[in-house]
Amino acid sequence: MKPIDVQNQPVLPPRRVLQIALTGVKYRLFRSLVTVAVIVVAMAFLMNILTESLIKRAVAASVRDQIASLHRVDRWIARLSMARPYEEILARLAAEPPDPDDLRELARLGGCDDAAMIPLRRQAAEAHRILQFFATLDYGRRRVLVGPAEAVGIFDRLQDERAWAQFTAGLADMKTLRFPVSQEEFQAFLADWGVLRQQLDEIRQGQTAAIASIRSHLGQTPLVTALRNADGPFGDVLRAAGFMLSPEEASGLAVEVARLEHVLRIEGTINNPGVRQEVAALRDVLPGDVTMQMIWTLLRRQERAAWFLEIMRANHMDTGDLQAETLTGLARHQAHARLLAVAEQQTQDAGGGLLGIGMRMTWLALVSMLVCAVGIANAMLMSVTERFREIATLKCLGALDAFIMAMFLIEAALLGLAGGLGGAVAGFLLAGARMAVTFRTLLAQAFPWGDVAAAGAISIALGMVLAAVSAVYPSLRAARLAPMEAMRIE
Amino acid sequence: MMSPRPSSPPPAAPETVSERVIIRTVGMQKIYHRGTETIYALRSVDVEIYTGEFITVMGPSGSGKSTFFNMIGALDSPSRGRVFIDEVDVAQLTAEELAFLRCRKIGYIFQSYNLIQYMTALENVTTPMAFGGVSGDEARKRGMALLDLVGLKDRWFHRPIEMSGGQQQRVAIARSLANEPGILLCDEPTANLDHQTGDEILAILQRLNKERGVTTICATHDHRMMNICDRLMWIRDGGIERIARRDEVEVEVGHIE
Repeated sequence: MKPIDVQNQPVLPPRRVLQIALTGVKYRLFRSLVTVAVIVVAMAFLMNILTESLIKRAVAASVRDQIASLHRVDRWIARLSMARPYEEILARLAAEPPDPDDLRELARLGGCDDAAMIPLRRQAAEAHRILQFFATLDYGRRRVLVGPAEAVGIFDRLQDERAWAQFTAGLADMKTLRFPVSQEEFQAFLADWGVLRQQLDEIRQGQTAAIASIRSHLGQTPLVTALRNADGPFGDVLRAAGFMLSPEEASGLAVEVARLEHVLRIEGTINNPGVRQEVAALRDVLPGDVTMQMIWTLLRRQERAAWFLEIMRANHMDTGDLQAETLTGLARHQAHARLLAVAEQQTQDAGGGLLGIGMRMTWLALVSMLVCAVGIANAMLMSVTERFREIATLKCLGALDAFIMAMFLIEAALLGLAGGLGGAVAGFLLAGARMAVTFRTLLAQAFPWGDVAAAGAISIALGMVLAAVSAVYPSLRAARLAPMEAMRIE
Repeated sequence: MMSPRPSSPPPAAPETVSERVIIRTVGMQKIYHRGTETIYALRSVDVEIYTGEFITVMGPSGSGKSTFFNMIGALDSPSRGRVFIDEVDVAQLTAEELAFLRCRKIGYIFQSYNLIQYMTALENVTTPMAFGGVSGDEARKRGMALLDLVGLKDRWFHRPIEMSGGQQQRVAIARSLANEPGILLCDEPTANLDHQTGDEILAILQRLNKERGVTTICATHDHRMMNICDRLMWIRDGGIERIARRDEVEVEVGHIE
């Protein structure tokens, strides 16, 4: 027999390593399932909050215009009723990106030229930032800094020497607060405040004058009635008075006002005892329990709408130009508007913090992943301890440390893959169901399939990486095991 | 690398086997430190094991027998002294070279079989081949031949859990031969088996030793082993108490009886 010449042991091809690891995972399926469950829970949590935030963001984006039109009439009536508060004008001046039409309106009403607008906007932006700071401050600290003053009243108050001293002293005490501008800048701003205020006053006077001219034109006609002709002669009146009204806005406004009048007429019927009684009889409730919601639901069906019109006429109510189709259309629009209102409320918090899921949720997700990592590390350590003899035997048979390490890492990564997949599906279903209940029909048109798929891919990849990283230490321990442990008998 | 022949004849040199030394230890010591206490697991062991011989190692538990086994099986390194396996100094080898040595030169047989639970009999046998760089059909063919050799050709697809202890030990023997090692290291191979199954395993080991010329080193308490071995070695208190040829011992046993 010839003496052996000792060489380096060849490295096993990855396919074979994977094959051996897979055989092991299959054999220990049940134990592995418990580990997988831990990963599923963590990844489902992540996927759930990611999907919810993505859906909220998508819905918010898709309904933004619809929500704006929902408030269109309110906005115009407010605008045409009295001069706007300083804060609103400042916010409009400071708007980023700037709305050129809106700025032109303010410039025209305030009587400033384009050159004057630039420094005005800059100052307005600064004022807006400072006001935002005070608006988000809690009452106690604001009281210490600026006393009872509110909004632009703060700037007036701080003109006083003593108030300024109180403010700077208070700010110095509140170390955690970050004032948006330096004290020197703020002082300079306060010195110029009088000028800025005068310019704002000019804008407000312009608004008041414009409103007065419109009022005189209207005479006794209510503003809402006049706005029905916003796409006609009354629109020209508004433009002549100095307001910016684009043709699209005008026609939208006219439609909304017409709808609003119909809605008001229908909602007025609820005060009629005859109508109440009929609806109550139909729905088998007491007349006192009839709600507007109930009537709108009825009106969604055309034959009920026709029936309702007859009841209105029977009770000597003016039905005007209302048709059954108009009523069903209105009822559907009301339902949609309610949904939009829910959407507006639900999507208020969409988009903040890291990944658009908010600081709190980000933290929760991180903590859940940390817990998951500890769980995996523990499970893998147990697996290593349990398989001492197997590992040592493999080393006796000529396995390299790298092979043992790879075997455990692959096992962990496979568990992570399974957990990630399960978690992504579970989290998606959970979030999808919850959002479907909240947004109903709004969801179908705005569902962010691509983003959600990406979130799913991220969850799966993260599950794998998390499992593999958590398994590094246990795998190292396995790889370093002495082969002579195989001889040990328990 | 040729071994320098010892100037004086080695103690109790075997007569029937070729006299090439396959394992040689020189002043082999193993010292463990537990706190301030120093434990001598092995105190200066000098021994030579010859190619093709069947040697039985006996000794009570705690005698250093396991430590001795780990040393000559390249599973552990001595604190002092040297171990040569086929004239290669084990202490000089890197981790990769040690794996190579364990994979091809030495076959290990354990008291509790140590089969990989999630692999079939054939997979167990072919795993060391895969580590040695042989895989696919070639490995399967050789694996089946080895299973045939131990009489388990028909059960190649069974997992350890579906086999009796004797069958598992036979698979383990087939596995230990996967890369045609020159040395077979058996740690109490019959301790977990009943009398008859133990006989079968011993018969296989004897056959391998005679037909294939595999150097076989057996740690055992089993007195049947005396009938088939060439030499016997007693270890006590970390040292070799005695080495004797079988014919010398049989006289003594007879005498005692």
